[in-house]
Amino acid sequence: MSPQTFDAVVVGAGPAGSAAALEIARAGRSVALIERGPFPGAKNMFGGVVYGRILDTLVPGWWEQAPVQRWVTRRATMVMTPTQALTIDYRTDSWSRPPYNGATVYRADFDPWLAGLAQDAGAELICSTTVTGLIREASGRVRGVRTDRPDGEITAQVVLACDGVNSFLAKEAGLYPHADPGHFTLGVKEVLALPREEIDTRFGLSGLEGADFEIMGCTGDIPGGGFLYTNLDTLSVGVVLRLTGLTKSGRRPEEVIAGMKSHPVIAPLVAGAELKEYSGHLIPEGGYDAMPQLSGDGILVAGDAAALTLAAGIWLEGVNFAIGSGAAAGATAADALAKGDTGPAALSAYRRRLEGNFVLADHRKLRRAPDFILSERVQHRYPAMVCGLVEDLYTVTNPQPKPGGLRAARRQMRKAGVTLWDLARDGWTAWRTFG
Amino acid sequence: MPTVAAAVKWVDRRPEVDPLTGAVTTDARTSGMSEADRAAVEWALRLGERWSWETLVVTAGPPIAESVLRDSLAAGVDRAVRVDCRADLPSPRVAAALAPALSAVDVVVCGDWSLDRGSGSVPAFLAADLGAAQALGVVAIEPAGPAIVDAERRLDGGRRERLRVTAPAVISVEGASARLRRASLSGVRAAQRAPLTTMAGPENGDHGGGALRRGPLRPRPKVLPPPDPSLPPRDRILALTGSLVERTPPQRWALEPSQAAERIIDQLRAWGVGAQ
Repeated sequence: MSPQTFDAVVVGAGPAGSAAALEIARAGRSVALIERGPFPGAKNMFGGVVYGRILDTLVPGWWEQAPVQRWVTRRATMVMTPTQALTIDYRTDSWSRPPYNGATVYRADFDPWLAGLAQDAGAELICSTTVTGLIREASGRVRGVRTDRPDGEITAQVVLACDGVNSFLAKEAGLYPHADPGHFTLGVKEVLALPREEIDTRFGLSGLEGADFEIMGCTGDIPGGGFLYTNLDTLSVGVVLRLTGLTKSGRRPEEVIAGMKSHPVIAPLVAGAELKEYSGHLIPEGGYDAMPQLSGDGILVAGDAAALTLAAGIWLEGVNFAIGSGAAAGATAADALAKGDTGPAALSAYRRRLEGNFVLADHRKLRRAPDFILSERVQHRYPAMVCGLVEDLYTVTNPQPKPGGLRAARRQMRKAGVTLWDLARDGWTAWRTFG
Repeated sequence: MPTVAAAVKWVDRRPEVDPLTGAVTTDARTSGMSEADRAAVEWALRLGERWSWETLVVTAGPPIAESVLRDSLAAGVDRAVRVDCRADLPSPRVAAALAPALSAVDVVVCGDWSLDRGSGSVPAFLAADLGAAQALGVVAIEPAGPAIVDAERRLDGGRRERLRVTAPAVISVEGASARLRRASLSGVRAAQRAPLTTMAGPENGDHGGGALRRGPLRPRPKVLPPPDPSLPPRDRILALTGSLVERTPPQRWALEPSQAAERIIDQLRAWGVGAQ
């Protein structure tokens, strides 16, 4: 039987794939959107927060139709040791009204919505179908994909690999260098059910307000971080663990989550909640220097498949980068199809497009962030030092006189094993990274 | 052209049941055909291929239930009909809703029971409504001739029985009896655009009796009289548990089916089960 033919085929109906298919379909091109799961978002695995600015141009007024759990109006960054916690807690009313800032969502709701927009624009969504490989010409040019269905070949002038982290298609196309486990983290998440009113009370929320906590120092000896987000009647609680550190520790990821949940600051927030879901997923956190080649002959790579996840301390973002890169890949493919040239030179416009917007600009600017954030001092010594310093300052020592900030800082630096040289060096790195 | 049909049900395969209230939460995204219904579609396809008959798939439910029809069309079924009705009709009403769509069908294959507390009675009611022969709980079907099949059923003690069934017939099959073939890519694409026939079903308000109260299934407790307080503790426990009490030994009867049915009913009445 002859293969099915489209102008473009997008592999993976996650945020990147659906955004790409939406752009191509809007350009009037035939596009197949192939999804492995029984429906887009069948695996509800990501932190939980979507930052919507990228949707403003793609779906004007998106907040009126997107399936949102809560609008994030409270963001907190927490630094903790096993017995201490220091929190920078910010909330604003301006994030609770259009155009909003971020929202907690369920992937099982959000992904079908975005894929539905692509379908409405003319994309053909094919679910429960796994792409097993690329169809290539003798020259190496990619001309389509093979699927696990009988007569399952699809030919197209351009293939968009949005097949997620550890992309087999990008590897098969020779776009991925040797994958270094040090560039990946394992994200594990529990969804915990609590009555909506209880969540509102515990987190000081009302209506559709939501909270987003990013946590450092909660993963013991494994480099990583944690998060806690509020959904309507559930909490998303999880940790992100550097793969090499996790392997070396010999610990199970669920133990690490259990440890975080038992912390004196977190325990009251999750007490009595019922576990609804546990899931795990690899995250490409290598940053700018660990990205694959983004385009080839007849192929583009977007989203997690292109390692476009921003993990830079207070910023943990993936879905917005997936949508941004997917939309750019879709627009590039549409332009190339219009010109009748989907060769490597034409598709290289994709990278230029990404460099011109936040996707690669942020990654380039924050390229040093992953190693810096996951370094031993930032992970362990500085949290201990800062928490100790604040404890010293807040502890009333009468009848002894107060220690003074500088003296207390020196004492805590000694205790945490931090030298002035360390502070100067890391301060310079932090300035270059985040400044 | 003669027709072999599969009658399938759209049902949540992973419903959430509150253990305290019995409230059932369903989700359209995890809904579809049960394994038994998927097996029924496969058997319909096999019989259709063997006899060169037209294949039909029918479901009774709301528009969202059309997903099971498209899944069946993707696998190779020729035609699909949805009888428009609510998803929670009781079994006799489901069979009555399906019957008009299957009146011209020679062989109907169903799953043996649905996942939402199904009792396996729809195929039996359907056979009665259609005036067709029935073979229920079948594990294998072997065509024995034009419009004739040998159907194999489980019996107690690991034994099997083979039934020769002649069309018109309703056959219900176990989920493990066949695995629905993987739909081809072209089949999936064609099924997404294929026209479906919709027939009017019972009025939505006509629930046909059914539930008087919703809640978890809680059989009535058996009330035991308190033992004689003058008895020693051991005897009181024996009286409560029924241990060491002589019972009627099991009886075995070899009777004709009609006599066997009468005998079973008499015994049930003697035990106080059902109407006197």
